[in-house]
Amino acid sequence: MNSDMSAKNATADAVGVAADAAPSGELRSEAAVSPDASLMTAVESGGGLAGLARRIVKVQSFQILLVLVAISVVFSLLAPDTFPTWGNLRLVIQNVSILAVLGIGMTYVIITSGIDLSIGSVLVFSGVIAAKVMQSMGGDGWGTAIVGILVSIVCGILWGLLNGALIAKAKVPPLIVTLGTLSGALGLAQVITGGVDIREVPAVLSTNIGYGNIPGTTIPTISVIALVFLVIFGVVLHKTRYGLYTYAVGSNEESARRVGVKVDRHLITIYALSGFMAGVAGILSLAQYSTTAIAGQSNTSLAVIAAVVIGGTSLFGGIGTIFGTVVGLFIPAILQNGFVITGVQPFWQQVAIGAVLIVAVYIDQRRRAAASRANKTGKRSLAHLFRRSA
Amino acid sequence: MPSTTPILEARGLTRSFGAVRALDGADFDVHAGEVVALIGDNGAGKSTMVKALSGNLALDSGSILFNGEEVDLSSPSVASHMGIETVFQDLALAPHLTPPQNMYLGRELPAPGFLGKLGFLDNKTMRARSKVAFDELGATVRSYSSPVGSMSGGQRQAIAIARAVAWAKGVVFLDEPTAALGVVQTKAVLETIRKVRDKGVGVVFISHSMPHVIEVSDRVQVLRLGRRVATFQARDTTVEELVGAMTGALDAGAK
Amino acid sequence: MKTITKLLPLVAASALALTACSSGSDDSGSGSGSSASGGNQKLAFVQGVAGDEFYVTMQCGIEAEAKKVGATVNTQGPAKFDPTLQKPIVDSVMASKPDAILIAPTDVSAMQAPLKAAADQGIKVVLVDTTVDDPSFAASQISSDNEGGGAAAFKAIQDLNPDGGKILIMSTDPGISTVDARVKGFETAAAKDEKFDYLGVQYSHNDTATAARLITAALAKNPDIVGVFATNTFSAAGTATGVRQADKQDQVKVVGFDAGPDQVGQLKDGTVQALIAQDPYEIGVDGVDQAMASLDGSEVTPTIQTGFHIITKDNVDGDGAQYLYKSSC
Repeated sequence: MNSDMSAKNATADAVGVAADAAPSGELRSEAAVSPDASLMTAVESGGGLAGLARRIVKVQSFQILLVLVAISVVFSLLAPDTFPTWGNLRLVIQNVSILAVLGIGMTYVIITSGIDLSIGSVLVFSGVIAAKVMQSMGGDGWGTAIVGILVSIVCGILWGLLNGALIAKAKVPPLIVTLGTLSGALGLAQVITGGVDIREVPAVLSTNIGYGNIPGTTIPTISVIALVFLVIFGVVLHKTRYGLYTYAVGSNEESARRVGVKVDRHLITIYALSGFMAGVAGILSLAQYSTTAIAGQSNTSLAVIAAVVIGGTSLFGGIGTIFGTVVGLFIPAILQNGFVITGVQPFWQQVAIGAVLIVAVYIDQRRRAAASRANKTGKRSLAHLFRRSA
Repeated sequence: MPSTTPILEARGLTRSFGAVRALDGADFDVHAGEVVALIGDNGAGKSTMVKALSGNLALDSGSILFNGEEVDLSSPSVASHMGIETVFQDLALAPHLTPPQNMYLGRELPAPGFLGKLGFLDNKTMRARSKVAFDELGATVRSYSSPVGSMSGGQRQAIAIARAVAWAKGVVFLDEPTAALGVVQTKAVLETIRKVRDKGVGVVFISHSMPHVIEVSDRVQVLRLGRRVATFQARDTTVEELVGAMTGALDAGAK
Repeated sequence: MKTITKLLPLVAASALALTACSSGSDDSGSGSGSSASGGNQKLAFVQGVAGDEFYVTMQCGIEAEAKKVGATVNTQGPAKFDPTLQKPIVDSVMASKPDAILIAPTDVSAMQAPLKAAADQGIKVVLVDTTVDDPSFAASQISSDNEGGGAAAFKAIQDLNPDGGKILIMSTDPGISTVDARVKGFETAAAKDEKFDYLGVQYSHNDTATAARLITAALAKNPDIVGVFATNTFSAAGTATGVRQADKQDQVKVVGFDAGPDQVGQLKDGTVQALIAQDPYEIGVDGVDQAMASLDGSEVTPTIQTGFHIITKDNVDGDGAQYLYKSSC
């Protein structure tokens, strides 16, 4: 089989050489292109600054940013002494950090038109295993902590690989797979601990990462860690081949397959990435709460999915930004913070967040309807979450 | 002039879907630097043949030869590796990506140097080259930064054709490429087909439009009921003769 | 596109409207604009979970007592008994700079640091019902005498099953100080009576359906269980459901902790035979008193343990009625 293949390739190449003049021959403007400008231009092209501005305004993550600004202004007027202070915003940012790490993976997953319900449980599982290992090692120093960090990340990746393999290879719908691992990971965490939270977390983790600041500032370390991940994976998503394939798989899996994108492998790595982020979040959660909080994180997966969707990532795949996800996380967080500060009854907070989510999905629907007016293949239903095409 | 060994040849292809024999011992051949039209009535087996020859369909029996050597076209990527490209009727573009991103999907140009190794892309060059390819086709691409899903059917057709043509080194299949196009764009597509042929690529042109077939093809092969029933030299034939062969009225046609 | 951009301000507007309407209608709760009326103190109450009758009753006690002493209360609570949901609320409450926070912490470790931070800012912290690992920063801790409550629960089971038999505890989650104490009190009392065979603790994770599932499984394994002590509201509701599913309501005596409307209903229809009622109203009243004392600089009682009340079918409509939990004040 292999020698057969290479023989074929050889003949193909032989033909290719003769015909190769085709693509390169047409490319007269090549000399005019300065290669090092590639990073700057990215997806945007011509139309100048005005065109760029017009496009930015159309992007949902920008519109949602305006909503965030508007909400913040309202609360600043209602509670001028308490809401718009660094001390308050600092706490909001700190509380969003773990969700932001999870939101990175979820953004990738949803762009591929998938879903990952398992991250909250994988977070707990990873934290539990890491805590167990650190407990048995003993010690409050960085040595123990670093082992714990690695263990947590590895656990997260393994769950992600399992999700990805079942989705891409076994063709089980992502909703079902991750619903299963949601339950499985939490159950195993309970089996391993007997349901008893482990509360022995190395002091270096909680004092430096969980509640620590960047030395000399009042910026929470945990938020800087989240920001580093956001920037790295934002660049990967928007600037690299890996990111492009993520959009391509979510946009039209079949077309990606036809041009040779290894769709299955890509999906597996996407879910592994989501698991990796859950593993990172697991150790951050340990650092922040000093407990494995097995019964906690019950709303985490849904909160992250809501934020990703509010931020303009389409549940139908093919569209989404990391920046939007961050804004999408801040909207519920600021709403809750402002409501608590202004003394609004807790139940209204849920109502408001639900309303924002529905409006965000409505906007997404409208936008897709507009985009697919001329495009009969553009119509898809959310049914894809329940099945996977072979 | 066409070379003597066909670049792609099919012998006795058979494929059944349940009780229906879509291909029933069909033959086909195309030479490098030649435009072959593949015609036939609806259900004659044209689309099945194209799928089989582009690695998108498994066969029950029959053999496929590339440059005289038997090959196993088990997947689209094997076919595209040999330089066989296809524009399907359903286009298979990613609607959320821009025209240049679609053009280069799966064959992105890495950014120069270290960044390229990290997976960064040379978007500027890809866009510039895409522009050249589109311009050459006479395709009026409205925007190089809008998703193709927001463009008209004709524009997306043009983008799909431009993509296939740009990468086809051996054979390009065009399944009804002019069906959704206006007069000017159709002219441009036919012109492109000639240009591609002149580069030494074998072009397989599937169409229901007999005038276009006669205008652009070198040879015409007629499928009926899953078999090749006739082959004509395009310059010697007429619309009437082709229609007759398609419908079976001229069974004794120039074999 | 135009309609979409027009829609967006709606979201902001609705947020505004919600804020406006509820700070307008919420007569006792709102702490935002009421500081003008002469020197009154701002209290904040963070529930363990919003909407639970135990915390609502406590809120009633807090609000009534606060009104009496001329303080305002901003009551907040997470949708679930979950430290990851409660911490952001505590942080936000802290930012609103109340004079004192009354809180039922949802986890002994996770809430330690945020509450310590609040205390460090000069906010008086009063722990109500639950506590944390190191409560030394707190002005006062008020809770039920949970060990005593557990012992009382065993006493109730003893009374209902004079012949003894297999007994079980349906708890919520390990690590919640109050619940652990109830379990401990029950276990200690049970160990002293040889007629009873104590089968251990099951954890319902505060989920009614889980409790029901666990109790049906336990009954499948040990069909002769005679008594179950359910340590809190949700566990009791689930246990009662599970027992009924197994059609064993005549054999299994269920003793619930807490006296919410659900439990009282179950007591009245005979699914639950006794309830151990805490006194959340009193906890709330004491909590406000201690917070005010600590703000005034007068003497503070560092720990207060409130009593409990055994409620059965016989006294539920009589002198036990005042101890039933309220779903609104």
